[in-house]
Amino acid sequence: MEGHKDVLYGLYNDEDVLMDAITKAQKDHLDIHDVFTPFPVHGLDDVMGLSESRLHIAGFVYGALGTLTAFLFMTWVFTRDWPIIFGGKPYWSVPAFIPITFELTVLFSCVGMVVTYYTVCGMGPGADNPTLDDRITDDKFCLSFNVSNSSKDEIESLKGFLTESGAEETNIKTI
Amino acid sequence: MNQFTFTGREKMVLMFFMALGAICLAATYFVEPATMVVMNHGHEETVSTHHMRFWSNFLQNVVFFLGMAFTAMFGYCAFITAYGGWFSGMKRLWEAYALWMGVGLIMMLILIAGVWMHWHHLYHWNAHGVTDINDPHYDEIIAGKAPFLNKYWYTFATLICVGVYVFITMRIRSLSVAEDNGVKGDYSYHNKMRGWMAAFLPWGAFTSAILIWQWMMSVDAHWYSTMYAWNVTASFFVGLLSMTVLMLIYLKSRGYFVYVTENHMHDIGKYLFGFSVFWTYTWFSQYMLIWYSNNGEETIYFLTRRDQYPILFYGNLVLNFALPFLILIRNSSKRKFGTIGLVAAITFFGHWFDMFYLIKPGALINIAGSNDAATALGSVTGYALPGLLELGTFLGFTAMFIYFTFSKLSEAALAPTNDPYIGESVTHHVI
Repeated sequence: MEGHKDVLYGLYNDEDVLMDAITKAQKDHLDIHDVFTPFPVHGLDDVMGLSESRLHIAGFVYGALGTLTAFLFMTWVFTRDWPIIFGGKPYWSVPAFIPITFELTVLFSCVGMVVTYYTVCGMGPGADNPTLDDRITDDKFCLSFNVSNSSKDEIESLKGFLTESGAEETNIKTI
Repeated sequence: MNQFTFTGREKMVLMFFMALGAICLAATYFVEPATMVVMNHGHEETVSTHHMRFWSNFLQNVVFFLGMAFTAMFGYCAFITAYGGWFSGMKRLWEAYALWMGVGLIMMLILIAGVWMHWHHLYHWNAHGVTDINDPHYDEIIAGKAPFLNKYWYTFATLICVGVYVFITMRIRSLSVAEDNGVKGDYSYHNKMRGWMAAFLPWGAFTSAILIWQWMMSVDAHWYSTMYAWNVTASFFVGLLSMTVLMLIYLKSRGYFVYVTENHMHDIGKYLFGFSVFWTYTWFSQYMLIWYSNNGEETIYFLTRRDQYPILFYGNLVLNFALPFLILIRNSSKRKFGTIGLVAAITFFGHWFDMFYLIKPGALINIAGSNDAATALGSVTGYALPGLLELGTFLGFTAMFIYFTFSKLSEAALAPTNDPYIGESVTHHVI
């Protein structure tokens, strides 16, 4: 099937066993497809060798965009488009702009980061996002390999690795 | 190494800076001329300086370090009350800081004696005749505030409030040290500490505001702001966090606190970042509410500072908001000791500078007699900008504070081995 892949996965009962299995897989130069856990496991990023997320850089850019939007828009409104005198203050009253500038910075940065996160991760409303096993969201820890292009022997040896490293069960699923 | 040793070399260096500070502080008493000529409403007038440079310098440093010690205790109580475990490994450091409140109280006694004996003229409400309606110096606004701003309240509030802080701090310290000598798994000490801490939190939160109004805000007796106490407390807390960062980096380089890692530094960094923003928030809100309301009696406070002291006014924002905000915004910069050390050095000086900004212009206006008169004096060293003598005094007080901290650290084991949370603290992991 076009765009689909076969995933071999093992389910573990404990995050410590999972961490050891990942370290072992890295040592054996196995190509891990992904790891799923029911809750954030500390140190998992380090063990998997993932680089630091760049989401916060996007967040900073969105925030800066919000700052500029709010500040420039208010400047335009109160000096060019519709100048009004409030309490004898000058048209361009920077202190009065600051709360709104702050709010828009936060708003742009939050909404922008949420949308980016969902887009990059292929999540969110309408996305087709199959789960390997329902119990991953409850109490199981999952280590998976992409075996779409693997031979029978390779799959068997990966299965052996999963069982050896402490997986309670192994399965293949096409997603 | 679980036992801190205060080396002779450290003592010598700190002694040197303490001596330097003492000389600088004394010098501010003598170098200031006894009188100044000011232009008051178009005519020349000779005013007495009353050694204001010395007294405002003293007040600024005493309050800054006493405030840092107070926030150390307050933060400690808040962390433990909220079941915070990450902090246990370095709690001895904050206990040592908190004990400084005893020293600070003794220094405040000098200022209290000064109020009674009229040694200094820091507080306009203490001037002769301002509350007497038949006196030519009668001041209606100050007379209205007299029930709060008077020497009895000043003395009573300082003695009672700080006295209770010192008492509770010493109780908690002795329980914390006794816990080390007890049995592992015996939580009775910890539970007693929690009781004292629960008492300290509301008492400290309410009374610290009263003290800040009296000690600092009443230098500008005509002006008031409800945001002021928040702003100053935030300032103290950021100063304390900066001090903690620098101290931990130094102590780690000497081989102590090996179990305090970049993960703990990351958490302190988040506090440093967060409270820098909180400080800015209160700073700005205080400014904006008064600016917007256009209430002449209060606006003039900011008008004077913005126009006559632009370096203090804007420099404050750069040091305490722009730099820490932009440098610490990245995750990794909170974990690199070099970067966070740099920020801590900036903000530690920055919040001392903030105290300078809060006290000095008001002190100058007090001796000049009016805002107009002070305008002409706006560039006097020691008021408009910290002079070398002020910086020397700052170093001296810092050295004394560190000396005190080190001597308290050497009195107890660095790692509280029987603390219920010590395991959680050692394995603390942020990302």
